[in-house]
Amino acid sequence: MSIQNLNTFDPFADASKGADDDVQDGLVHIRIQQRNGRKTLTTVQGLSSDYDLKKIVRACKKEFACNGTVIEHPEYGEVLQLQGDQRENICQWLTKAGLAKPDQLKVHGF
Amino acid sequence: MAEDDAIFDPSLKKKKKKKKTAFDIEAALAEGGNEPQENNTTEHPEAKEEDQDDANVDIDLDFTKKKKKKKKPFTTDDLDAVMGETKEDGGNEGGNQDDGAIDDNFDLEMDFTKTKKKKKKRNLGDLIAEADEKHDDKENVDENSAVWMGSDRDYTYDELLKRAFEIMRDKNPDMAAGKKQKFVMRPPQVVRIGTKKSSFANFTEICKMLHRQPKHLLDFLLAELGTSGSVDGNSQLIIKGRFQQKQIENVLRRYIKEYVTCHTCRSPDTILQKDTRLFFLQCETCGSRCSVASIKSGFQAVTSKRAAIRAKTA
Repeated sequence: MSIQNLNTFDPFADASKGADDDVQDGLVHIRIQQRNGRKTLTTVQGLSSDYDLKKIVRACKKEFACNGTVIEHPEYGEVLQLQGDQRENICQWLTKAGLAKPDQLKVHGF
Repeated sequence: MAEDDAIFDPSLKKKKKKKKTAFDIEAALAEGGNEPQENNTTEHPEAKEEDQDDANVDIDLDFTKKKKKKKKPFTTDDLDAVMGETKEDGGNEGGNQDDGAIDDNFDLEMDFTKTKKKKKKRNLGDLIAEADEKHDDKENVDENSAVWMGSDRDYTYDELLKRAFEIMRDKNPDMAAGKKQKFVMRPPQVVRIGTKKSSFANFTEICKMLHRQPKHLLDFLLAELGTSGSVDGNSQLIIKGRFQQKQIENVLRRYIKEYVTCHTCRSPDTILQKDTRLFFLQCETCGSRCSVASIKSGFQAVTSKRAAIRAKTA
């Protein structure tokens, strides 16, 4: 049995751990945009650049049966873009794949 | 007057009791004949006496049932005895015994209403009586939540709980039994204009209700919906795209949660102020002050025709 107060505490533990932790930091914004008619577009902004977004979009396209692409944006970095209202799907998929925690996902739109 | 009434009452009772115990029609008729005479002879205002008569009849009806069982002529002197008997009857029924004892301590005249009830119950079927007694027990618990205070016995959980809530209610009456203050909003009126635009008719009204700048809410709505829009001359908001009332309601709800209600105490009584490029939410109720997220529209994909954009910019 050890006394907790006497243990040495490494203040940089979090910083060194952050790199290899599989959950990214920062919010993931999931938005929806209306197109013509009843068509919509779902964008996923804020996924960590550590991930290969191309692989993610390939998996998503197969899973949700929709088309999608990765867009390079000067300010927001790489952004996922999927056709149709995939907000529910992408939320579930990201949490299931362990790419983001549910409290990191921020769903916008109606 | 009062004395005469007092004298008058028992006599009436006795007569009626005799009449009903005997179930003698002739006697009843005779009595029926007698009553008005008595009323006439005594020179009180008749209405009053008749009221009293009615009251007595009610009481008598109850007592007669009792008497059918007991086969005893009823007098006021016997009341105590009867009460004692009823108590004995109630002994096997449990809870009512205490009540009977308490009733005895009060004035007899005051008791008539109560004793009436008790006696009725005993005349009914056992099931009903039991149910009533259970009900009585519950009432007792409700009434005396601090009944254990003086006594030596252990308190029960329910009593303690009730006591805690009573104290809470007494100390802060505005809280109203822990009820959360509900924030009531008028629903947004959203109408489609043509095929591609929606109108949010009571936009400024809702801004006023929320005590927020229309510009702030406008920014939020447009950023959340990912569209463009503007306020027109009739102070209604025109949004590009098809939106239903339900959808706007959802967005409004999110706005209220983030920018209107206090994050600490959830009170809607807040002020939104800008301070060094950040918005701060100051609560008027609890005095907390916290920064709120800035409104960013974020990444906007190209949804219109690219050729059209190129034509515009070029």
